[in-house]
Amino acid sequence: MNNPLIWPVAVPLLSALLALLWPRRSTWIGLLGSALSLAAVVLVSRQVIESGAIELALGGWSPGLGIALRADGLSVLMLLMSTLVSMAVAVYASVYFSRSERRSEFWVLWLLLITALHALFLSGDLFNLYVTLELLGLSAVVLACLGGSRESLQAALNYLVLGLLASMAFLIGVALIYAGYGTLDMAALAAAIESGPTAWVALSLMTGGLLIKSALFPLHFWLPPAHSNAPAPVSAVLSALVVKAAVYLILRLWLALFDEVVTQTAALVLGLLGGVAVLWGSWVALQAERLKLMAAYSTVAQVGYLFLFLPLLAALPEGTTRDVALGALVLLALTHGFAKSAFFLAAGVIMQRAGHDRIAELGGTARALPVTAFTLALAGVALIGLPPSGSFLAKWQLLSSVFITGQWIWLPVIAVGTLLAGAYTFRLLGYAFAPGEGVGPSLSVGREEIPAVLLALAATLLLGFWASVVWELVPISAYAGGGG
Amino acid sequence: MNLTLLPDLLLAGMLIGLAWAVLNSDDLRRGVVLFIAFGLLLAIVWARLLAPDLALAEAAIGAGLSGALLLVALRDGSGGDQRSAKRSTLNRWLIDLFVLVMTCLIGWVLWLTIYAEPVERLAQLANAMLERSGVSNPVTAVLLNYRAYDTLLELVVVLAAVLGVLVVGRERRGYREPGPVFHGLVHWLVPLLIVTAGYLLWVGAHAPGGAFQAGATLAAAGIVLRLAGYDAAGLPDGRLLRWLLVAGTGVFLLLGLGMTVSGGGFLQYPEAWSGSLILVIEVAATASIAAALVLAYRGGRSDGWLLVDEKDKNREISS
Repeated sequence: MNNPLIWPVAVPLLSALLALLWPRRSTWIGLLGSALSLAAVVLVSRQVIESGAIELALGGWSPGLGIALRADGLSVLMLLMSTLVSMAVAVYASVYFSRSERRSEFWVLWLLLITALHALFLSGDLFNLYVTLELLGLSAVVLACLGGSRESLQAALNYLVLGLLASMAFLIGVALIYAGYGTLDMAALAAAIESGPTAWVALSLMTGGLLIKSALFPLHFWLPPAHSNAPAPVSAVLSALVVKAAVYLILRLWLALFDEVVTQTAALVLGLLGGVAVLWGSWVALQAERLKLMAAYSTVAQVGYLFLFLPLLAALPEGTTRDVALGALVLLALTHGFAKSAFFLAAGVIMQRAGHDRIAELGGTARALPVTAFTLALAGVALIGLPPSGSFLAKWQLLSSVFITGQWIWLPVIAVGTLLAGAYTFRLLGYAFAPGEGVGPSLSVGREEIPAVLLALAATLLLGFWASVVWELVPISAYAGGGG
Repeated sequence: MNLTLLPDLLLAGMLIGLAWAVLNSDDLRRGVVLFIAFGLLLAIVWARLLAPDLALAEAAIGAGLSGALLLVALRDGSGGDQRSAKRSTLNRWLIDLFVLVMTCLIGWVLWLTIYAEPVERLAQLANAMLERSGVSNPVTAVLLNYRAYDTLLELVVVLAAVLGVLVVGRERRGYREPGPVFHGLVHWLVPLLIVTAGYLLWVGAHAPGGAFQAGATLAAAGIVLRLAGYDAAGLPDGRLLRWLLVAGTGVFLLLGLGMTVSGGGFLQYPEAWSGSLILVIEVAATASIAAALVLAYRGGRSDGWLLVDEKDKNREISS
């Protein structure tokens, strides 16, 4: 009873089943389930902060024969982000879906998605990770279908097929690892895996699958249609959380399990792809005509930033400097999670009020929906990386890692990417704060505007001022490889 | 050359040939039929490899139910141009080349790990612990005891997939009344399938079988019923159907949590009870799996059973 690791998985799963059994109460079950999941995550986080990484051997079998759940600094940070973001989005969704006939389906799938995310962040077993990836992908695809339009179905179908392909590649990698090392337990594997053909092929397959899921350029093409055509609360979690889950797994694999296999060249390749993603994603976002499409391409760019860290991490020696760089990576991912979900929720508010999200016709937003306009501005601050947001600190550390390692090639990428992010944000704000009647005359502050502004405040203020927590937590590792 | 090797080589060769034919079939219907044949052949291969559990699962789910689902999907998209899967020759060559390279690469690594430098894996440990697992079939021990958490999440995956069918799908038209011969066959076949499912479920504790195979067999009974003109395919409606879908995951999760609350670990069965608890979980899982598969075959909902109840619907219309 004193080991709380199962609760972040069990609570949302139980709520999902209850919501399926009592569709009429689904909204309340959904909100209560999200709140209790938050409580469960807080319970786990407190224990990790107090006593370091924790492990739970399920069924009482030793890890290897059985499955172990593990929580360390990195997983706790990801859990906290996903539960806080999903709590805020759930409050928004309770308004967004209040009159929809798809209400009960939404809540069941929503809770299953949270179950999958939590199970993924806590899993300490490679095959179990595959199962969580399948659950995550499937529930995300069905949620993306809820919009019901032809485009959203088409986008969701592409998302499904690519997701299955990615999972299959991951699964083959897992099978090779089991054949080669005789175990699936990640702690045992972190100590056992050494450079060789088995490890190379397995790592390439697993990384390839995860790159599709994390939408790194040039495998990003499925993301903008899928994310921009989904209902607003769904877009928010797809961009903020689901993509991050794949990035989290790449970090675990590269830094803890395969740390002796990864070469500088391989890391450089991913870094270069990340660099192209930053430039290309920001450039297309600047040209986007629709608000949600702009947000989706901005996600492509922001994922690129995360991959810029890989060659730097590979070049830094294990120790404090590397942990600082890793902390910056996590901070950037967290800030983007909060900022992008706030952005999509604000876009949803505008879309419901105005009936469209064409950027050029957003005049009058600031007068009609002041809170939402403020949200867009705050989220923009975090996306560009201006102080006091968390991404400002993260980019600062990114630059200092560039100086330490002497990999000057990333400097222009970061500079141009930041300028482009500024350009697309200010282009949007220019329209939103201009006079006009595009959004209608209402002046009331709706309940649906509050969650978005709270998320944006978390990205700019909370993560900016409390960033030290991230750097304190990241070095707590459950795996021998250190860091990740 | 050793003569006993000949049938195996023949099987392996046919398997590869069929796989290639499925991938390169222009006509989708032909591709689906070949895919079913591929599944059956694969089941035989598993049986030859002394993995009867996998052989059963592959025959029931891989060939049987997936085949039925694919065929019924073909019937839905009966527009002429959807039948053929046209791809440009260059594309096809590139895909074939990619598949060939990957196959060689993966085959080479597997050969290295299995024959060149084999390592100690978990089978021995799994067998050694069998006494304490409550069952004597090692596959069931892995699925329902050692790695029960995986199986729990897999049941959730099935649930999510069914919800997807319900969100996107629309129930298909039923079939016409069957002729007297088929009607007679149904009267024999459905009870037989139900009894077989019960047997597979029970025998899973000490011989090949278990919830997934039993669920698939039970679902086959539902599909036969639907083919015979019973549109509901043996499934109840509304609230009862929801309970049926939730049963597998729900019983599994609640038992696991019960063990946690009573002082053990999550899904840590008390040793004296583990056999019975596993059977309870498998019964519930069989019901849920069968319901999910039949629902997928039906293609969705007819009445919006998952929607908000009638009263709410009226409110929505009036507002």
